[in-house]
Amino acid sequence: MHIFEGFLPSPWWQLWFVFSIPVIMFGMYRLNKLVRERREIVPLLAVAGAFIFVLSSLKLPSVTGSSSHPTGTGMAAVLFGPAITSVLGLIVLIYQALFLSHGGISTLGANVASMGIVGPFIAYAFYKAAAKVNMNFYLNVFLATALADWVTYVVTSTQLALAFPAGGALTVSGFLSSFTAFAAVFATTQVPLAIMEGALTALIMKYVVQVKGDMLVNLQVLTSDTINKLKGAM
Amino acid sequence: MTSILDDYALNSPLREKNNWLKIAITVFGIVVGVSSNSPVTPFIIALCMSIATIRFSKVPLSLYLKILAAPAGFVLVSVVIIAFFSGNGSEIFGFDLWDHRFGVSTGGLNMALVVLARTISGMSCLFFLSLSTPMMELFFVLKATRFPDSFIEIAMMMYRYIFVFMEVAMGIKYAQTVRLGYKDFRTSFRSMGMMGTSLFIRAWEQGEKLYVSMNSRCYDGRFVLLEEKHPVRISEVVLTSAYFVLVLVVFYFTRNILLI
Repeated sequence: MHIFEGFLPSPWWQLWFVFSIPVIMFGMYRLNKLVRERREIVPLLAVAGAFIFVLSSLKLPSVTGSSSHPTGTGMAAVLFGPAITSVLGLIVLIYQALFLSHGGISTLGANVASMGIVGPFIAYAFYKAAAKVNMNFYLNVFLATALADWVTYVVTSTQLALAFPAGGALTVSGFLSSFTAFAAVFATTQVPLAIMEGALTALIMKYVVQVKGDMLVNLQVLTSDTINKLKGAM
Repeated sequence: MTSILDDYALNSPLREKNNWLKIAITVFGIVVGVSSNSPVTPFIIALCMSIATIRFSKVPLSLYLKILAAPAGFVLVSVVIIAFFSGNGSEIFGFDLWDHRFGVSTGGLNMALVVLARTISGMSCLFFLSLSTPMMELFFVLKATRFPDSFIEIAMMMYRYIFVFMEVAMGIKYAQTVRLGYKDFRTSFRSMGMMGTSLFIRAWEQGEKLYVSMNSRCYDGRFVLLEEKHPVRISEVVLTSAYFVLVLVVFYFTRNILLI
């Protein structure tokens, strides 16, 4: 769910930059710290970012016939945590704006807020909480990724409704009726899309566990015990 | 996804121009366009930027129109919602549906038209930059700013690997398609999953190899690039200032003009 260039009026695009910049700076601080400790992480994060970009430019098989693309941010949040994901998301969004004309520069703050910050953060929180209560790993990944997409889409609808409330002036009822309209229209593509992306990510994780489980151990996503248990269950 | 805008930027005659000048033109257009309350200024900006892209950057008109239409789906849906829900004023037309009154007011329609104009002008400014400036040139700009090195390193390596993985993904997709891997919904889903996995694993191994090979060439956390200098010529300054003045004058005189 990208908001396109020029779509958000003042002061909303500036406000979303004000929201996003501190989080991105925190993400960069975390990234710098991580890079100082483990220098080999730089190329790994770079290829992971490129993977997110390629994944997000692939068309998903869609039930409704509309074109839908995965965002990949839920998967990144599960693998790297939300702070680093926000920085990767920023780079991916800049590239998407420049190469594919998805999104834009003045709306970058808003797009980073929805796709790079709030969505991954909620997905990560959910993933951690569900892992604590021993939810099945694949179900957890599926739900976390789908949740990331849904949260992203709700945040985007909120951003649009705040900028364009019903009745012209920003009131609670105007915001709500405009939010309902945006959310309802985008739900037709976003609800099935999130389910598809969640299922796809869970499938990818299943293959990764089968073929290269040690990778997930290195990333501290899973322990080797869990990998063995998951392999044993198949 | 066959080609991305960066491919055209590499062949653009404007590639040789000063990066800061191009960025200034783009940001100026985006900011003025988005702050305008009348659809006239964004329209002038869009016109100037499109002429600059097609005339100076030698982008084929058909391609330009095609990429300009890319965001059409999202933009049109959102503009219709804004027209119906936002704004006040006298109602132009409306209808009843499920006991609800849906109507387009003059305020809503004006708002929708302004947003449409702003989006078109913003997109044309963005295209001006992305169709005339390859990403490599923008890295020089990033290096001159105060972004942390690790961020720029990751951005640069990511840029390189986007093309590598895109090619791998396309190859796998062709191979899967000729084996009827996308014949129906179930198989295409399975094929997508397999492609995503092998892409992920390959990406990861590539990253590890990249680290080893860069380390063995004394990588110390920063790429050093040799930057080509593109000085700004007087004629470019004159043309750019003329454009800025024109847009600002139009912005001032049309600030209250609405179409309806």
